[in-house]
Order: sequence, then C-alpha cells, then structure tokens
Amino acid sequence: MTSPFSNSQYPIYLHLLLLLRFSSLDEDCTLEKEEGLVEEEDEIDQFNDDTFGDGAIDDDWQEEHKRLAELEERKNDGLGGLGLGGLGMGGMGGGDSSTVQLPPPASREGGGGDLAESLAMLILGADPAIASVGGPAGSGDRSTGLPPPPSMPQQHHHPSQLPSHHQLTPSGLPPGPLHPSLLSYQQHQHLLRRGGAPMQQMNSHNIWENNMGFGPVSVTPGLITQMEDSPLMSIIKEVGLPNRPPPVMSEDGRDFSERAPPPRSSSPVIGSPPVRAVPIGTPPKQPMSHIHHPTTVHVRAPVHHQHRYPPSFPERISPNTLLNMANSPLCRPPFPAGVGPVLSQIQRAQMLNSQVAGFPRGCQGPPLLPGGGGFRPFFGQPPPHRMGPHHNHVPCPIIRHNTTHLHPQHRRMLTQRMQSRGGYRGGRVGDWRSRDPYSNLMTQREKEWVAKIQMMQLQSTDPYLDDYYYQNYFEKMEKRQERDRDGVRKEHTTKLITPQVAKLEHTYRPVQFAGSLGKLTVSSVNNPRKMIDTVVTSRTDDEEKREKQVWNKRRQILYTVEKMYSLLLEVQDFEKRFMQTPEEQRETLLEQHKTHTLQLYASLKEKEWDDRVSDEQCLLIMSVRKGKRLISRLIPFLPPLQAATVVMGIARNLHALAKKDKQDQALCWLVEPVAVVISSLSSAALTDLLQELQGSEGQLSKVLQNKFGVTLLYLILSEGERMQSSDLNCQLMDDNRWTELVFSVTRELLNVPPSSLSPPLFTPPNLLSLFSRYVDRQRLELLQEKLQISALSR
Amino acid sequence: MNYMPGTASLIDDIDKKHLVLLRDGRTLIGFLRSIDQFANLVFHQTVERIHVGKKFGDIPRGIFIVRGENVVLLGEIDVDKLCDNVLQQVSIEEILEEQRLQQQAKQKTEKAKVTALKDRGLSIPKADNLDEY
Repeated sequence: MTSPFSNSQYPIYLHLLLLLRFSSLDEDCTLEKEEGLVEEEDEIDQFNDDTFGDGAIDDDWQEEHKRLAELEERKNDGLGGLGLGGLGMGGMGGGDSSTVQLPPPASREGGGGDLAESLAMLILGADPAIASVGGPAGSGDRSTGLPPPPSMPQQHHHPSQLPSHHQLTPSGLPPGPLHPSLLSYQQHQHLLRRGGAPMQQMNSHNIWENNMGFGPVSVTPGLITQMEDSPLMSIIKEVGLPNRPPPVMSEDGRDFSERAPPPRSSSPVIGSPPVRAVPIGTPPKQPMSHIHHPTTVHVRAPVHHQHRYPPSFPERISPNTLLNMANSPLCRPPFPAGVGPVLSQIQRAQMLNSQVAGFPRGCQGPPLLPGGGGFRPFFGQPPPHRMGPHHNHVPCPIIRHNTTHLHPQHRRMLTQRMQSRGGYRGGRVGDWRSRDPYSNLMTQREKEWVAKIQMMQLQSTDPYLDDYYYQNYFEKMEKRQERDRDGVRKEHTTKLITPQVAKLEHTYRPVQFAGSLGKLTVSSVNNPRKMIDTVVTSRTDDEEKREKQVWNKRRQILYTVEKMYSLLLEVQDFEKRFMQTPEEQRETLLEQHKTHTLQLYASLKEKEWDDRVSDEQCLLIMSVRKGKRLISRLIPFLPPLQAATVVMGIARNLHALAKKDKQDQALCWLVEPVAVVISSLSSAALTDLLQELQGSEGQLSKVLQNKFGVTLLYLILSEGERMQSSDLNCQLMDDNRWTELVFSVTRELLNVPPSSLSPPLFTPPNLLSLFSRYVDRQRLELLQEKLQISALSR
Repeated sequence: MNYMPGTASLIDDIDKKHLVLLRDGRTLIGFLRSIDQFANLVFHQTVERIHVGKKFGDIPRGIFIVRGENVVLLGEIDVDKLCDNVLQQVSIEEILEEQRLQQQAKQKTEKAKVTALKDRGLSIPKADNLDEY
C-alpha cells in the first residue's frame, strides 16, 4: 500500500487513494478510465461534428447521405404528413427521445429563433428515426409541459440505442426500402433548411438535453405550430417512453427489426460501464449518483425486444462524449439562463460528492488537462466557487473580546499576520480541505470549547502580576510606535484595556426540601460531595466568656465535690483501716480521721462562722447531683453539732434547692441522714430548723412542692410531736415559736393547692395527733383529707 | 480562522499534516484531527517515521492518540514542499533492521565506556529514560 504521504503528485495520489477507498465503485473506476480514454476521442469527435456537421461518426455521414438522398426523392411526394405519421410510429423509440428533446425547445419561448431552429435541426437531423417522429410530436409532447422525468427514460434510452442502430444501418439497409423513420426526413430536411444552423451545435444541444434532461432551450414557435397538429404528437403525448406498448409502434406495420437492435442490456461501447438500471433523469438518491449521471449516459434499455429504436447517435459517441459535448456548452457563458440552476445543481452535487466520496472526478484533473474539453471546466468551477467564501473568512479573524486583554496593538499585528498568511494559504488549503473526507471531525463547537478553556486560563485580575513581561513589552512597542509616528495616528495611543473578568460564583448550595432532615446533594466535578456538613457557628467574645464561665463554675463545683469525696471516702474507710492498722498507728489514724472530718466540714461551712454552713457553698455543692449525694453520705460522719448545722443549711436553702431538684429528686437521698439528725435534735434546734424551713414568705410553699421538702417537714413535725408526746418536759412549748410555726405550717398546708403538694416519701404516723393539738376539728379533717393521713395511722 | 490572536493554539492546526516528536523519541506524522485543553492530540493516518542516518522508513499506524504531556514538539508539514533529496526512504524491514543495528552499536559503545570508567574506579549511574525518576 502506498504511503499516504508519498512524494507523488497530489492529484494522482488522490486518484489512487480514492480508487482504493472506493474500490467498490468499480463502475465509477471504469467509467473514469473510460472517460479518460474517451476524452481524446471527444475532441476528435467534436471536431468531426464541426467539420461534417453531423454526429461525427463515419457512419453518420453515410446515413446522412442516404437520408438526404431519400428525402430528396420524397420531398416532392408530399408524404410529409403521412411520413410523419408512419415514421412517428416507427421511430418511436428513437423518435421519442428526440421529440422529447425537441419539445423542450418547443415549449419554451424566448431564446433565439436561430438557436431553436438549430436545435431542432440538430435533433431532427441527427437521426432519421428522430427526424421522423421527432419534430412535431416531440414538440407537442413538450408543450404539454411534462417535465423530463417521464420522458427522460426514453431520452436516455435513446442514445444507447442509437449507436447500435447506426451500427446496423450501414450494413443492412438498402437505400430502397424506406425506413419509416426516413419518411419524416422530409420534414427534417425542411426544418434543416429552415434553420441552417450548424449541426454541431444542435448535436451538442441534443446530447446535452438528452443527458441532462434539462430542456430550457427554446425552439422556434413555428416549429411548434407545425408539429402540433400532427397525429403523432398526440400519440407521443400519450407515450412517454420509448418502450411504450406496441400499438404505437406497430401502427405502421413496419418491421424495424432490421433497423434497430433489440434494447441493449449492455452498453454499446466496449469497456464502458454496464447499463444503468436507473435512467439518467431520475433524481439522485445520493449526491454521488448525480455526479455520475452526467457521465453515465448508458441506460438500461427497456426489455421490449420488439422495440427497435435506431440510435440517433453515432455508435462511437459514448455517453462520456455526449457529456463532454454537453458540458462544453454548459461552461460557455452565452448559454441561456436556464442552464444556471442546472449547473449549480451539479456543482452542489459535486461539492457534496467531494465531501462524501472524495471527489473521484478530481483525479481526472491532470490527465484530462491536455484534453481540455468538457470535464475540466466542469469541475474547475466548483472549487473556485468554493474558494470564494473561504477567502471571505480569512481576512476577518475572530477576536474574542471578552477574554483576552491583549494589547490592541498586538491584536492588530496578529490580525495582519493572519491575513497575510491566510490569504496565501486559503486558496490552496480550502481546496485541499474540501477534498478531505475526514476533515471537521472536530466540530466548531468543540473548537470553541477548547478555545474557551484556554481563554479562561488567561483570565487574570492582575495582568501585571501574571504577565509582566508581556504587558511591558507591548507598552514599549506602543511607545516606540508613537515615537516613530510622532503621535500622528491617535489610534495607536489608545490605552491598554485590561478587562477584569468577574469572578463567578462557584459555591454550590445544595437543594433542601422544607422540613426534611438534611440536604439533597448532587455531586459533580465542580462540586464534590460534602461528607460532613459542618456549620461554623461563630460566637461573640462575650458569649464565649459567659459560656466559659458557666462551664468553669460547674467544673469548679465538681472539683470541690470530688475533693470532698476523696476526703469522705477516707473517712468512710477509716473504720476498716482502723481495724487493720496496728495499735501504735491507730492514734495517728484517728487524728487523721478527725482532721478529715473537720476538713469536710470546713469546706462546707462559712468562712467566719463555725456553726453555719455557707449558703453559697451549700448551694453550689447541692446544685450538683454528685454534691447532693456527697452531703447525704457526709452527714453521718459529721459530729452531731456539725451535722445539725449542715441540716440547718439544707433547710435554709431548700427552697432554692427544691427548684433545682425538680427533675431528679436527688434530694431524697438526704432523707435518711437528715432524719437521723433530726431525731437527735434538741427542741430548740428543732424549732430553729422548722423556722429555717419556713424561712421567708412563700418559702414553704416551694418547699412543699418538693418531695424532700414535704418529707422533711413531716419529719420535723413528727419529731416535735414525738417530743411533745413523749417528753412532758418538752421545752417545745415553752416559747410560742413552735406553736406559731406549726400554725403557719398548717395554714400553709391547708392553703396549698393539692396539685402543688407533692406526696412525701413517707408520712409519719403521729402527724395527725400533732395537728389535732393545734387545729380544730374542721381543719383537722381537711388536713387529713389533704394529706391523706389516715386516722388509723394514729 | 483565528480563535485567539496573540496566543498559541492548536485549533488552527486541525486537519493539517503534522510532525510530532514524542518524549520517547518517536516521530509521528499524521493529520491532526482533534485536540483538547491538555494538548492531547488525535492523529489520523499516522505514520511512524524512523530515521537512521540518511535513511528513513515509514510505518503506518492508523489512528494515534497522544497524551499531551508526552509531546516534545509539534510542527506542521507543508505538503506543497517536496521532501528533501537528502533523505532516502527505505522499506520498513530495512529501517527496523537499521535501527536495531544502531541500537546495538550504541549499546556497545555505552558498555565499553562503562567498563573503561569502572576500570578507572569511576561509576556513572545509568541514566534512566524517564526524566522524572
């Protein structure tokens, strides 16, 4: 396989490459070759046409001679009409195409009369068969305005048969027996004489029409009128194709088998591509086919062997020849306007084809150049045509204003540079690019995307920081230019604009539905998923201080409590240790113990007073659950007096403690030790205790809300009662304090709403008796009810 | 079409014939079809050209995707300009053979050098092909 980048000439390479690539299209390849061969023939043929006036094949002139001779004879017979009719039948196949060819000119008005006439002559004169049928009928057909497609097949069919016909005619035809088609030669000659246009022109037109199927060539109106009335016309109107049912043909009863060979299944020209099943005139399914249409004139003849259509074209004219002949007029400017759209269509098709199939025609270039001829100009047009727009693009490079902060001078320079480079290159590159089937794999959008990314990288908020040297260089250049030009051109002194690209907001806010727990997060490259949604709560200094203080305080309390605990534990363990230590060390231990206990108490008590527990301290310690527990464990180890003070302190602060204790009622732990203490209290102390408990106004109510408080109260009361009942010399009643206190208690108890009275841990039995002493029966009953003191508990 | 005046971009080089030299020393020639922001290149109808002395050989490789970081340099080939007459193209087998011989010779000299140095008590650590390591 040849290297794609060999040093060989480009067009040849392309040719080879395309051959290799499109090897499947054998048809095309052979066609190419054949066309190459034929090209030269073309020229000669054309030349012949010019010289000899008719289908430039040797046989043709013989035919022509015969025709002329016969016509000369018949002219005077006046068989014009009849001949027409008969010939119309006979030469239907061939005639049709010619007729069809002719009608287009006939149908259209405009165009030079000469042109029309010459066309007519060309058509008519080219083939006896055509001539016979052609003129009148054809024009009629055309005048109906039928577009080529239905008639195209017959047109294209026609040429394939023409050569064969011509082949036969010299061999088989005696001049004597009249070929039906010849009969109409009368008319043909008539027309010919009329027109007098060179056959060549007509021929070429004919061919062109034949192949292209475009018929915007006008014909003499006279011709039309002449032909209109012919019966053939009507027939031909009906009959679109050469392979119409026999009636048309056999009308005359002539046997044309001699004249026309059976419809060909293969192309007449040896080596040419096989006959196409699709007639030339059919619209191409792919652009490719359209391209080849001009070249492939061979059409699969209809399978009616009965139809014998004498080919109107000389045998040696291949479809390619025809094409070339057709092409040349195409390329000539003075052609009627109707050609325009045709050409562009071909051009378009070719362009498409070149994109898709790699422009197989392109390979024809160099070899065909010497031939000149039809192809070259044909294909020469599209590329230059395409170059036009290409040239337009190059001078205007796209400048992205939003992203670059290039110096305007720089930009200008580069623009100029690009222009100069592009202008030179564009001519060649565009052509080459258009032939590259793999071009533009990267779409414009993709290119822009990459460019955008690259531009984004250039964005800078501080160009002097990012690209110092660039900025300075252009500043210098600017200054230099200014100096050189002496500041004449103001545009160069424009200020350097450095656009500040706005920073895009890139934060992603996750979607959150109202009331849902958490956020719906869609993670992407730009927004990686947050695994932990940490929310920073910034606190002010004050808040922090306060919080710190609170925590510090609590920690302090706990610390104190724990310290006390350690002491307490030692105290608790004293006994055990005492038992274990030997005699000698017992004293020390004992002393230690005492110290500890003192210490414990010391931590609780007020700084100054020995017999009063520091409220503050007590509160602090008791506020903590641990502290409550501590106290409850501590009290038993304290000496009675100290214990009493502790209890006093508790009682005193109970209202405050009760509030804090609402939830867990940890104060209840204190019940037992406190009970013990109370039982050992003197009456005076008891009274004091009760007083303490009551405290200020409203204090008792709070106390009563607490379980412990109620219990404590009951304890106190019961103790008092016990004292009273047991000890006659109780000093409890000595001063009225006790009585008053009890009274107030009872009052309170009665007043307190039952809801706020919390049930005690236990109800001492002698309460009722206590109350009975102090309250009247009614109240007693009420109290009883309230406090649920059963009489039985007495 | 100029996308970014004043900048170097490969966009203008698309669909043109290029020669690229890779970090491993290979020379690739192909049509640059696609690029991206990392200068990863997609080559079409790539041919690896091996040069040995005045001879060179082309090995057709098809489609190549080159990672941008492995490109040393990249340049457009002017198709109009004919190849210089100095270089002579040979077949693939021949050029591979030549290359092998060249490598062999190189290794020999290298080995000789190393032994010579060793004899003199010097040892130069073998330079790796990869420059990072």
